[in-house]
Amino acid sequence: MDRAGAEASGAETEPTRRRRFSINALLDGFFFVYAGIASLWLAWLVFTESFTFGWWGIAFFVAFWLVLAYLVLPRLHRILTTIYVPDYFIGRARTSDGLLGDPVNLALDGEEAQLHAALAAAGWTRADDVTLASSWRIVTSTVTRRSYDEAPVSPLFLFGRQQDFAYQQEVEGNPARRHHVRFWRTPDGWLLPGGRRVDWLAAGTFDRAVGFSLFTLQVTHKIDADIDVERDHIVSTVLAANPDAHVVILRDFSTGYHSRNGGGDTIRTDGDLPILDLRAVKADVAADAVEVDA
Amino acid sequence: MTVEKRPAFEPPAVLVAPVTPPPDMHRPVSTVFGALLVVLRVIAGVVWLLSLALQWDRVLRDDLNIEIDPGSSEAEAAQVVLVFILGFGGLILAVDLVLAVLVYRGNNAARLAVMIVATLSITIAAIDYFGGGEDITIRTTLITLSLDILVLLALSSRAARAYARRPRPNGRGRHSGPKGR
Repeated sequence: MDRAGAEASGAETEPTRRRRFSINALLDGFFFVYAGIASLWLAWLVFTESFTFGWWGIAFFVAFWLVLAYLVLPRLHRILTTIYVPDYFIGRARTSDGLLGDPVNLALDGEEAQLHAALAAAGWTRADDVTLASSWRIVTSTVTRRSYDEAPVSPLFLFGRQQDFAYQQEVEGNPARRHHVRFWRTPDGWLLPGGRRVDWLAAGTFDRAVGFSLFTLQVTHKIDADIDVERDHIVSTVLAANPDAHVVILRDFSTGYHSRNGGGDTIRTDGDLPILDLRAVKADVAADAVEVDA
Repeated sequence: MTVEKRPAFEPPAVLVAPVTPPPDMHRPVSTVFGALLVVLRVIAGVVWLLSLALQWDRVLRDDLNIEIDPGSSEAEAAQVVLVFILGFGGLILAVDLVLAVLVYRGNNAARLAVMIVATLSITIAAIDYFGGGEDITIRTTLITLSLDILVLLALSSRAARAYARRPRPNGRGRHSGPKGR
């Protein structure tokens, strides 16, 4: 949908702009890598400076961490993962730095409106998009432990696209702990490994606390290792609230595994993939539910 | 719904395809940050020029080892040199300021120009540091160097790149920036 829209509007601009992309892309690639290397040097300079300033060195050390966690490591991960992480479907979403993120552990059939209807009925809240305002609100609500039902979730990528939308359930009014699940529409005609056609893929995990990411040292949510519990929670809530929904389980879809997600949290799964069939769910229920919500 | 066999992998050509951001893309944080850093560099340049002007006599005597008698024709020549340096530096800073505005509005040529200058400046500093043994401390060039590196990081990011490359409704005319923001 989005892609079609972008192309339609792109067609209105003059076609000559497209042609010069190779040199520009090359330049951009060079600057991207060069900036990554230079930032590494900057981190080193700031780090060594921090020892020469006495108590002010602590401020320098914080600056060093900020530079490292939010500038250097994301850029280096971005460069390296472009080289070594495969870009085809391996049952894992990727973070914006290209690292392997949450595992895809749920598939759905149905129209978008039917998904919204089924999830709203099952007591899930749609997450806000990430903006400066919503990011600031999630920080303040975490620090003050105020409830933030529609807190945004970080972007994860599948098929080279950010999630189309995400749903969540806050636990005990604490924004640090929440159920959440991201949804991606599969490309037209795309088949699961094994040949089954599904309309949507989803990755559901449970945020149990706020902590430091192992790979980027950024402050982020830590997820619960037993992702199968979360997957089964999503399926059971949707089934309980929607009598027209059905589920088929692909046993051992992925080999059961232990691994780490993009934040360095361990994950383990039995490898089953439930496919929720929502094609019989009435979508107009959704319109009401959304209006009540808003 | 048609179900056709499709390759299980995404073709690698997708990686090198040109970015096609939506025309109404919001200005990303990295573009704003990059433009802001260029402005900071201009301010740093103004401070440097002012301090040079105020300490001109001392710079000549101590750093360049030029002895000048007050009131002589050499002193006048030194003043002319100072004015020339200030004028030239001011011109460069003015160009920098224009580039900052253009970067903010998402001009790709300005973005590339700023990145080329930053790259050259970083490279020269690196050669000095690793080759000549010149120390880089906060008192000398750490601030300008980190500004250069941060500018390069911000403007080479994918979001800033996509914003500078977004298709414009009126070609590349005067109007840019989606709806005022």
